[in-house]
Amino acid sequence: MNGLMKAIGFVVVCFIAAPLVIVVPMSFSDARSLQFPPPGYWLGYYDAYFRDMSWLRPTWNSILIASATTVLTMTLVVPATFALVRHKFYGKSVANVMMLMPMAVPHIVMAVGYYSYFGQMRLVHTHLGVILAHSCLSVPIAFLVLSANLKGFDRTLERAAQSLGASPVRTFIHITLPILRPGLLISALFAFIQSFDETVVAIFISGRDAETLPRKMFDSIRQEADPVIAVISTLLFVVVLIGLLTPYLVRGLRGRLRTRNAGQEPPPAALAPQE
Amino acid sequence: MQSKNTVLINPTVNTGRRTVLKGATALAATALATPFIGRARAADVLYINTWGGPWQEAATKNLFEPFTEETGIEIRTVSPVSFAKLAAQVKTGVYEFDVTTLGGGDILRANQAGIIEELEPPYEGGLFQNGVASHAFATVLAWRTDKYTDESPKDWADFWNVDKFPGPRSLQRYPARVLPIALLADGVKIEDLYPLDIDRAFASLDKIKPHIRVWWTAGAQSTQILRDGEIDMIGIWHGRYYEALDAGAPVAMTWNQAEIDRAYWVVAKDTPNMEAAKKFVAFATSAKPLAGFVTQGQYGALNPAANEFVPASAAERSPTSPENYPKVFEQDVANFGADPNEVAQRFEEWIAS
Amino acid sequence: MSVSTGGIQDRGQFWPWLLLLPLAAYLLVFFIVPLVDVAIMSVTEPKLSLDNYTKVLTGSLYRKVFINTFATAGLVAVCCLLVGYPLAYLMAHSSDRTALLILLLVTMSFWTSFLVRTYAWMVLLGNQGPVIWFMELIGIADPPHLLFTRFSSTLAMVHILAPYMIMNIYTVMKKIDPALVKSAESLGARGFSVFRHVYLPLTAPGIANGLVLVFVICLGFYVTPVLLGSPREQMIAGLIGHQIEEFLAFGLGSAMAMVLLAITMVILAIYHRRFGLDRLWG
Repeated sequence: MNGLMKAIGFVVVCFIAAPLVIVVPMSFSDARSLQFPPPGYWLGYYDAYFRDMSWLRPTWNSILIASATTVLTMTLVVPATFALVRHKFYGKSVANVMMLMPMAVPHIVMAVGYYSYFGQMRLVHTHLGVILAHSCLSVPIAFLVLSANLKGFDRTLERAAQSLGASPVRTFIHITLPILRPGLLISALFAFIQSFDETVVAIFISGRDAETLPRKMFDSIRQEADPVIAVISTLLFVVVLIGLLTPYLVRGLRGRLRTRNAGQEPPPAALAPQE
Repeated sequence: MQSKNTVLINPTVNTGRRTVLKGATALAATALATPFIGRARAADVLYINTWGGPWQEAATKNLFEPFTEETGIEIRTVSPVSFAKLAAQVKTGVYEFDVTTLGGGDILRANQAGIIEELEPPYEGGLFQNGVASHAFATVLAWRTDKYTDESPKDWADFWNVDKFPGPRSLQRYPARVLPIALLADGVKIEDLYPLDIDRAFASLDKIKPHIRVWWTAGAQSTQILRDGEIDMIGIWHGRYYEALDAGAPVAMTWNQAEIDRAYWVVAKDTPNMEAAKKFVAFATSAKPLAGFVTQGQYGALNPAANEFVPASAAERSPTSPENYPKVFEQDVANFGADPNEVAQRFEEWIAS
Repeated sequence: MSVSTGGIQDRGQFWPWLLLLPLAAYLLVFFIVPLVDVAIMSVTEPKLSLDNYTKVLTGSLYRKVFINTFATAGLVAVCCLLVGYPLAYLMAHSSDRTALLILLLVTMSFWTSFLVRTYAWMVLLGNQGPVIWFMELIGIADPPHLLFTRFSSTLAMVHILAPYMIMNIYTVMKKIDPALVKSAESLGARGFSVFRHVYLPLTAPGIANGLVLVFVICLGFYVTPVLLGSPREQMIAGLIGHQIEEFLAFGLGSAMAMVLLAITMVILAIYHRRFGLDRLWG
């Protein structure tokens, strides 16, 4: 049983890895078609990506929208999370479920809603419209990460500071925030990625002036499977790889400096953006 | 189907609900939107809805760039061409493009629904249903020569003949072009096509449906699946066929029973860029730019004045050349035979079922 | 989450609400109102009636698409389990280094955009792709077309959703005390029997979690079926999108969206009562 299970497991590893591996050689292919193995290799499509405004503009839009979404989401979510984790009050469980709802509603439903509603408000095809929509969709993820961190928060230090005469505000700035910083950063990162990857709502509302990268990629795959997509895929893939490896490398480096082994914590678990 | 008609003809349905919703959020929206209002688009940019690919290359070089040079108006493009987008713009008041081209079937619908501006004829006989006639293009039968080596398909009946020519196929997800083809395949003569026998066309389509792997929706997509061999036989625009051929794909086509469509420039109703839009439409259909455009894009010019600037060598790939024109047939959009909106909905339901 | 870790008894209930207010107001205006808009459109476009629902619930096309959506979601969920379970097992029963590497791979797949992975499957299964190439290499004369079929979209969705399943099962497996398995073996139980009677029941909560999560997400999938699927086997989200984009049929699209929403909510509500919603994504 053990052996069989592991053997299948190895096959699955290949299944998971294959699509991630394939886009890298494809991005260097000199063919226009989806030919594999590629007939020859060149950097032409990288060149095309970095020259073509119709690809760079969506990239920039996505970065801008995801950044603004992160700021807006965190501004709203941080106080709310403190309220929900640290206080008891009437209606709390309802508020809790409410925070998670944007994750539970299928994005296509929200897309229809935003398309009509933002259309009436003249927010379709604007950066602001996409930011407002994405901020809703990022709330649950940011909240889940932050509340998990806040629940594990040891409040002894805060109490100590306050008993020594520090005001609640001073305590918050000098004690609570620094301790919570990693949790805040990861929470913000998740909000950013949620927005950066979000496709369905963006397809419907980001339009001409605020076109995001996923929307542009979707259109391109649907229409012509432009080889530049392989380039973008590879670049995104490398960014994810760097993002995931950085904590290990940093920890490994620190561990070596302190000449002791760093504990192996798993990377952020399956907190899920929808499509 | 009803919903569509109502929406298109009467874009202000449910004003009551709209007002309520607007009121509920006006405050928040105004506060948040203020910094963005100043960023409204500059008046000297014209947005044109394009077909992409070889169409756009030809248009950029012969229409867009010369126009910008002459008027100083910058042109940006949005693709693919979508009738629904054009209608949505009028409904929502958010304009993605100011100018687009429509085929013969769509221009009737658009004009009836009041979603395009009234225009003046820029040249004699050039105006049809408020669209300015620009160029003719064709939907042709094309196939993979590496797949059908012994014998080539000759007409749409062969496209339907899966015993003789087995393999996956593709057609456009667009009933106005597909239904006449289905009738031809079923043995209807070209002169008896219009008005279309819709039920017979669907019955004919039923026979080929299991073999249609892709209902293509964008020109570039049709090139890609033909070039990469995802399908073996396809009904494809002739320009897109030549794109695949020029890319080195083993493909062939026939002008026999090719279906001619006329493309018309139109201006979106109430667009904020009205002045520039009208100026562009007149420019794009004037003799010299149009001649350059049809020569590079391998179309047939609909402004007769353009023909004197079109070199004879361009004729081989043009659907309206003396050589090719006798083999093709023209759509008769005014004599369609049914409500195009109802047919479109029925077609969609048929595809999904 | 229902257990408060805070020891402070609040001075009234004023503060927590003040902290919650901005977010609550925001979600009301930019989340609830658009949803209500969909609900209203479903009964007012093009006129005030329940016609859209009648059509969606009784029309043969819509019934077919809903059934296909359910069947696909179920199939994908089961495939994810079949794929995810052995992989989670491999991770849970390997050296730390191997487990970490696999975990890294799974996480990486998870964080890679849906579109990238969908595109990758297009390359893999395309007519000029490596799978067909390999088939020709081993002598399959007329390899089947794989792209734009139910097979290709299902396979890609399984790949995209498998990480959810894997993470859920892996978390549970890591908590199983190896001594339990050992003691079962020492009592004479063998291979498969130990697995069936001891190990499998212990991982059941992770399996249930994973199945629900994958099923629910798959119900609303738009991108992958639209790009890779067959036109004859549309899923509900694709049909909603098409009705809105091509026909501006807001009423019909909204009615379908509301039915999809209702189904999703019922499933999640049942789950919430039994386990608590916040555990699903944990």
